[in-house]
Formats: sequence, structure tokens, C-alpha cells
Amino acid sequence: MKLNLYEDKNNVDERVDVYFTGMRPQIKQIIDAVNSDRPSISGRPADDDLDDGEEILIEPSGIQFFDYVDRKLFAYTCDGVYRIMKTLVECEELLWNYGFVRVSKQNLINIFKIKQLKPDLNMKVYAYFDSGERICVNRSYKKSFDEYLQKMRKMA
Amino acid sequence: MNWEIDVLKKYLKLLALMICVSYTFVSVTGVIVNILSGTQINNFNTFLMFVTCVIASVVLSFHKLFDDLSPLMMMALQYLIACVLIGIMLFVINLFDEVTLKGCFEFYRSFTIPYVILAGFYYFSVFADAKKDNDLIKEIQEQRNSK
Repeated sequence: MKLNLYEDKNNVDERVDVYFTGMRPQIKQIIDAVNSDRPSISGRPADDDLDDGEEILIEPSGIQFFDYVDRKLFAYTCDGVYRIMKTLVECEELLWNYGFVRVSKQNLINIFKIKQLKPDLNMKVYAYFDSGERICVNRSYKKSFDEYLQKMRKMA
Repeated sequence: MNWEIDVLKKYLKLLALMICVSYTFVSVTGVIVNILSGTQINNFNTFLMFVTCVIASVVLSFHKLFDDLSPLMMMALQYLIACVLIGIMLFVINLFDEVTLKGCFEFYRSFTIPYVILAGFYYFSVFADAKKDNDLIKEIQEQRNSK
């Protein structure tokens, strides 16, 4: 899909025009993103080649966590794993208001998707998700994690 | 370079604070134990307690280096490093004054008992913290779902 962006500092009437051949999920997601003014994350299924396949918009609330491995960022949802062409810091800045909090150098997790927070016998604390995946909450990030939970509690 | 000096200054300030707090704690506890048990301490023991506090504070301040390890492994490694440093300290003391084998054993025991107690306390606090956070997450999720 071709994307044209026009920046005009004097424009007072911002708009998005979508020319499409038929209503399909990707178009629907664009409409939802524009209507709801929510941040959107786009990515390709992790098992596809980067040059192939259509980039799809991923609803942030559907993402369980982000994992940064080998200089690549992946978003884990209940449906699958997607390669994200953003940095972890960008995602953190974009989604901090949507329940996403950094718990280690490699991971950003969605607190609304946590099934349980449980320490192991070796005292490492893990966040468990519905999919069965688990992410370690690094103790260096524990303080900021606690502060984030308190902040979200007040906001909620 | 300035940035590195600032970091070093901050670290030394924090370390000095840790040593002051731990020494005060150990010293006051020692005094209370001595009052209750009626035993005496001399100046050398007080100085030894101070050196032990410095060793413990320095070793504990290295916790960032063990971030990738589990806390249990970190505590075990820190204990081993502290034991080695205490061994060096006892060796140096032995050069000026004789330290018997029993004396070394007693010293290690005096160091190990509070370390194990504090490690147990930390172990408990990790589980208690996780439970508290878990309840908080459930509360946030419920509040969001009820909207």
C-alpha cells in the first residue's frame, strides 16, 4: 500500500484520505486508529521475510509484551509474534499510557495482560501471561515497575 | 570524563552512607548484646566491626554487576566474595597479632549468622512484594474491566 504524507505547518484542517479497493481488516484497523486517536503499532508476522507480506496494524491492547532479541524487536500477541520496525524505547514512549512498562533491558510488558506475578525459588520474579509465556521482572527495574503500578492505579 | 567523576562521586557518597548506617546498626546492636550478656568489648573489636561493615557495604554495593543472575545466586556470590575479603583481613591481622583457628571460625560465624538472617528477610520480602504487586495488578485490571 502506498503511503503519502504531507506536512503543512499552516494547515488547520488535518485529514486522512484512504483510497481502497475493498473493506478488509487492514483498512478497518486504519479507520479504527484514526477514529479512536490511539497509537498504533505496525508489524509483520515474525516468520515472514521482511520484504514479503503485508505490514499490519496491531492493536496495542492485544500485545502481551515486546521482546528485543538480536537487535530485533518482536511483539507477542495471543495470535502470534510480529516483527516491529521500531525501537523498544520508541514503543515505551508511545505506549506508556496504555499499560506498557519496562521490566528489563529487553522487555516491555502490558500489565493488563498479566495473568500472574510469581517469584521462582531462585527469587527471580516472573510475569506470566495467558499464552503461557513468562517474562522476568529484573530487580533493577523493580522500583520503576512499582511506581508505574501505583500511577496506573491512580489513573484507573 | 566529568561524567565518570560524577558517577564515582555519587557512588562514594552512597557507599559512605551505607557504611555509616551499617556501622551504627552493628555497633549499637553490639552494645545492646554486651549490656544484656555482661561481656566487654575493647577498641580493637570496635575497629574490627567497622572494617567488617566496610567489607559488607562494598560487596553489597556491587549488586548491579550481578543483575543477570538470580538473587539467590547473587547472595551466594556476594557471601563468597565477603568471605574471601574477611579471610584477607584476618590474614593481615595475623601478621600483627596471632589469630587462632577458633578465632577465625568464631569470626566467620559472627558474620554468617546476621547475613543468613538478612538474606532470609530479603527472601521473604521478594515473595511479599510479588504478592502485593499481584494484588495491585488484579485491582487495576478489575477497575479497567468495570469501566
